[in-house]
Amino acid sequence: MDFGNDLDFLDQPEFGEPDFFTKAPIELMGPTLGLDIHQNEADFEEADINEDIGEIKSEGFCFKLAPDECPSEFARSLKHLGPKLADFKHGTTTLAFEYQDGIIVAVDARATQGAFIASNKVRKVIEINEYLLGTMAGGAADCQFWERYLAMQCRIYELRNSEKISIAAASKILADICYSYRGYGLSMGTMVAGSDLKKGAQLFYVDNDATRVRGQLFSVGSGSPFAYGVLDTNYKWDLTTEEAIALGIRAISSATHKDSASGGVVRVYHVNNQGGWTKIHDQLDVNEDHYKFENSKGLRGDGKEGFGKLKL
Amino acid sequence: MWNDSNKYDRGVNTFSPEGRIFQIEYAFEAVKMAATAIGIRTEEGVILAVEKKLPSRLMDPTSVEKIMEIDYHVGCASSGIAGDAKTLADHARVETQQHKFSFNEPLKVEAVTQSIADLATHFGEGSEGMKDKPMSRPYGVSLLVAGCDEDGPQLFVTDPAGTYLKYKACAIGSAAEGAQAYIKESYKDDMTLKEAEKLSLQVLKNVMEEKIDQHNVEVASVEKETGKFRIYRTAEVNDIIDTLS
Repeated sequence: MDFGNDLDFLDQPEFGEPDFFTKAPIELMGPTLGLDIHQNEADFEEADINEDIGEIKSEGFCFKLAPDECPSEFARSLKHLGPKLADFKHGTTTLAFEYQDGIIVAVDARATQGAFIASNKVRKVIEINEYLLGTMAGGAADCQFWERYLAMQCRIYELRNSEKISIAAASKILADICYSYRGYGLSMGTMVAGSDLKKGAQLFYVDNDATRVRGQLFSVGSGSPFAYGVLDTNYKWDLTTEEAIALGIRAISSATHKDSASGGVVRVYHVNNQGGWTKIHDQLDVNEDHYKFENSKGLRGDGKEGFGKLKL
Repeated sequence: MWNDSNKYDRGVNTFSPEGRIFQIEYAFEAVKMAATAIGIRTEEGVILAVEKKLPSRLMDPTSVEKIMEIDYHVGCASSGIAGDAKTLADHARVETQQHKFSFNEPLKVEAVTQSIADLATHFGEGSEGMKDKPMSRPYGVSLLVAGCDEDGPQLFVTDPAGTYLKYKACAIGSAAEGAQAYIKESYKDDMTLKEAEKLSLQVLKNVMEEKIDQHNVEVASVEKETGKFRIYRTAEVNDIIDTLS
């Protein structure tokens, strides 16, 4: 069936039938993923991905693709055909920075669908395992699923090698997944923050283009320019943990007050240099702290700050 | 016993007229030739103890991995072809993690054992042309699977035929018969874990050819209290050996 680049397939009577879509087996992604699931044969019989790609046996995870020969083209064409259909804005503010005693990770909690605030309580820090944290920006499902998959791969690594996986390797696994699915429409802007006993705490930025960079300070999302403003002004390597936590909160708080797609509560985690992390704040209401910050700047909000200071 | 064996024993797909598949029975012989392994289950947990048959003192004992952790709550000891043992244990590891991925819970000990036994009938999984294609021969290894889940501490034994059975205590390998007899004498349902530790090493001491020491045996346990599978350090093994008669 040739669908071309139009949306008529939605009207086809067979739409929704199990065989209607082609299946992209995870085997296509190569041996890097090493998945060995033996699923129910009834559901996932040996399926071919269309003849152009050749015969690939399908086992285990099967992701239904858009019914198009070239999914990346399809993703691009959607922008013209249906401008609002697959628009994943990274409406969020997440940040993480390394300092002398580890890493601070701070995130907001808002999810928006256009102008509609879907939730103010989203958990944008994913606890991958006891020594790795991942942040979420972009598509929530993509981040959650693949970071959970990353947790599985880290544990299998531990069992096979009798030692914990390095943060560099863990972030590479995630980046390689993103590379395999390049052009298929994954949306992920994530920071992998972790700690191992050999190298202490390390921070990596990984996104859906398979960009992977190590760094000391990152902020991701629509509110990131505002967070960077606060972070870059006050960041020092030699912060104490208390100061670092306060900086993280302050940066997210400022971003939530300038960016409509960020808000809700602030969640703060601390990754130490000894191979673990702790949750510092589960939900800190930015509204309460906002007035504290304003007052500390000398603003009372009544517009009368100047009264009594005029000299006539 | 092996009367018809010359006619019907070459093909692993061939039954003899008496209904036996000789290749699989020969696979059992691979286990009977291998180093002894013992498992003892108590109300407090399960003990695994294996003999590491070191061919020479030039060999590094830490490189002989007879006991393998499968997940936090379950592990196994092997007797037979080492490569087959590692393949089966690795398969079990992947199964436990995939179960956790999909269902957010640890895989039950019986299910772990079942996933290992399932490989035996097909000599592997997957199909031709894939990375994990099946072997052309049966697995030549028996595994003692020890773990703890909501049903308490459990010990299972798998064999090359793909059977698995639950045991209170079991010995496999070259000295299995002798070891099993010793265990039967001394096993009690209400044994403590410490008593089981001592019994397992005492039995190994009695059936091993070499003199027992902390380098040529490996010990592991799953305790009901912690629910964790743990391989003992050589110093701990040494402490138990010191208490033996």
